[in-house]
Amino acid sequence: MSVAACRAPVDLQVLLDYWLADLPPGDEERVEEHLLGCPACSGRMADLAALAAGIRRLGSQGLVRAVVTADFLRRLVDEGARVREYRLAPGGSVQCTVEPQDDLVVTRLAADLAGIGRLDLVSCDAEGREQGRLEDIPVAAAAREVVLVERIDRIRALPESVQRVRLVAREAEGDRLLGEYTFHHTPPRSR
Amino acid sequence: MDLPGAGDADLARRIAAAGPAGAPEAEAELYRRMAPRVRLYGLRHLRDEQAAADLVQQALLVTIQQLRDGKVREPERLASFVLGVCRMVAGDIRRGRGRRERLLRRFATDVPGAGTTADEPRLDHDRLAACLESLGERERSVLLLTFHAERSAGEVAADLGLTAANVRVIRHRAIARLRDCMDAAEPRP
Repeated sequence: MSVAACRAPVDLQVLLDYWLADLPPGDEERVEEHLLGCPACSGRMADLAALAAGIRRLGSQGLVRAVVTADFLRRLVDEGARVREYRLAPGGSVQCTVEPQDDLVVTRLAADLAGIGRLDLVSCDAEGREQGRLEDIPVAAAAREVVLVERIDRIRALPESVQRVRLVAREAEGDRLLGEYTFHHTPPRSR
Repeated sequence: MDLPGAGDADLARRIAAAGPAGAPEAEAELYRRMAPRVRLYGLRHLRDEQAAADLVQQALLVTIQQLRDGKVREPERLASFVLGVCRMVAGDIRRGRGRRERLLRRFATDVPGAGTTADEPRLDHDRLAACLESLGERERSVLLLTFHAERSAGEVAADLGLTAANVRVIRHRAIARLRDCMDAAEPRP
């Protein structure tokens, strides 16, 4: 059945703010009454809610590669997620793997991030050749590390290999290396 | 009356006109169309699928009973009435009063279609993962930090060293891009 169009559709930003409890109380009541009476806008809200639930689900399953925060990790652990963490200092290396029971694999890369304007995370092969780059990653000014959730399905598919990661500050003169981190990956079967 | 083509207020009037005898078809149609909307209210305020499902059942059973009893004075403002009922029931659910059992004993077998769950949009999670990957790093981080625990722009801004206004812009752009990406994979009807 087709849904009648709305003559005064609620703006997407307002729907987002409503969903995140970020609207003033008076506005919230107005939006709620509209949604309860409007199939078109409640349909859009339902799509948005499904998207939000999907993002949450993929995040909990380790299927989103993203820079997060230490607080975010703590919340996941509190919810029962099994998180495999590797903490490295600049120049550090680690033997790493992923076990069947792991929900998330996280790398915590320490670096001096004070005063950095733009920060990139560069993935390299064993010889140091660039394979990919996460550009302009978000980190708080006071942060002393980059917390990266890796896609666990990709880590599970990796053969025994060496991966290097670099944090670089993007400056007018070019990249400035803040730290290189080396991962000696071993799949669980061959350990 | 063509029920699927009738407005919410028309259905409400029809139920009220039938009185205690009930208007099964109109009641079922009203339940069917209101259930997904009430579910959203429940998810937003209770943040739990089962609690939202309970809210749908309880709030709509109360609404229909109130219509039958002639206690809804302005059927054209049904949404406002349902909102009031939702608030009351959500408060009860939060307080865990056991109202659910009492209401279900009293009304559930009375309303056709009551107890069925509201349809929710289906989502292709593989496609969503691919679409998330196509976003910029800031967009992806903001969405993950935002939706994992339904955090406000101000909270995410404090996490990432951004301003709340900046988070709102990033969030809005990211959602728009994500929807475009999902729609491109599966055109909407």
